[in-house]
Amino acid sequence: MTPPVPAVLAELAALAIRNAAPGIPDGERANALGLTASLLAIAAETWDAAAHHLVEENQAIRALIGETGDDPDLRISALQRENNRLRDALIALHTRAEADGDEPLQVRIWAELVASTERRRLSTAPV
Amino acid sequence: MAHPLEPRLAAYIATRIPHASDIAVSGLERISGGASRETYRFMLSWIDAARPRHRKLILRRDPPASLIDTDRRVEFEAYRAFRNTSVPVPDMLWLEESPAALDHPFFIAEEITGFQAGPAALFTSPDTVLHRVAEHKWTILGDIARADPTSLTSIVPTPALDQCWHRELGHWEALIDRDADQPLPITRAALRWLRTNPPPPAQRLSIVHGDYRTGNFLYDAQGEIQGVLDWEMAHLGDPLEDLGWSLQPVWTFGRQGLAGGLCPPAHAIAIWERASGLTADPAALHWWTLFNCIKGQGIWVGSAAAFNSGGNRAPIMIYPAWWLINAQERAMLQLMGRL
Repeated sequence: MTPPVPAVLAELAALAIRNAAPGIPDGERANALGLTASLLAIAAETWDAAAHHLVEENQAIRALIGETGDDPDLRISALQRENNRLRDALIALHTRAEADGDEPLQVRIWAELVASTERRRLSTAPV
Repeated sequence: MAHPLEPRLAAYIATRIPHASDIAVSGLERISGGASRETYRFMLSWIDAARPRHRKLILRRDPPASLIDTDRRVEFEAYRAFRNTSVPVPDMLWLEESPAALDHPFFIAEEITGFQAGPAALFTSPDTVLHRVAEHKWTILGDIARADPTSLTSIVPTPALDQCWHRELGHWEALIDRDADQPLPITRAALRWLRTNPPPPAQRLSIVHGDYRTGNFLYDAQGEIQGVLDWEMAHLGDPLEDLGWSLQPVWTFGRQGLAGGLCPPAHAIAIWERASGLTADPAALHWWTLFNCIKGQGIWVGSAAAFNSGGNRAPIMIYPAWWLINAQERAMLQLMGRL
């Protein structure tokens, strides 16, 4: 998820402190509170499964691109860096499969791409 | 406590209406008016010919870093192009492109008061109101499509009819290349498909609003649209571009199967064709709808980039990225028949 959750929570903490001060116009404070609430709700929804989903996805992509191995560092930032590397490789593989007309491989890649959006899907998402 | 911008704004306005006296700005407050400009409402008071005057106005000021980087002159002139036409727009008063007065360029416009814009409140309305909004929404879009584009030709590029798609796709792909900090395999697959399967040339060159969707117009309790807002992405191009944006799946707001959350897509297209006098070729419209998923993704990753770079740490820059980047990829899957 971008921007990263820790940076967002730090920013929201600073925003809460600013809005606790007197003299903030009611409308501005209400806007800030509403957006803050929405962002906190998304962070809450994604927090518990974030590492699990990245490990699951990294394994699925390694299988597609013919790599073995696992994720030794389970911090979300480390998992995300590895996910970025693997998804770059998946884009390259997908492009080659289209150029080669490799339909079976394209079907497997599309299945993983659909699954990737299910992992990231929010309960409030419009699609 | 008075907002610190009030005296500076009053001083600026005094230079624009030198015949007036006792100019005062009060009640200035920031409102949620999109992430591409800072939007404030305020009351302007002045004395003119010994008579006190008051007017509710809007200030739209460039932020330090924007969700989309656009030219406020184009936005200002696009509004003006439709003043006193069937497309309802607020009166544009003053454009200031120098940062001297308020630190950033800005413009000032009439505030259209007493109406709502939010999709959530709209979707609680009776069906009769939703039907009327839909009818009016795509009629206005048809009116925009058939309007004379010459009012903007001196300030924006005028693409050849067979280059409209190429220009827009290149623009938004370049922004994704620049701003995306995480790989987007579905977006990249959609880009490859769009380049391999280009649409036919535009039927005509039109003014393209650029962000015509539910949420960017003001409506009344009867379902009449009283103001079309957010023209900051206006340009000249293929009129199917605007229609495709209005049909983009994320703008259903979760009301699946309803264009803009309002009516079946076929009904929206029929209204638009009737009003514009143009034809929405299904294959061409499909291309433009998928293209608009790319455009949306360009905006969402741009908002994340503006936050991540430190250019703009406002929460409004985070929300579109968190809420819509994955939804936008699911919309692409839908349109490519994969979901």
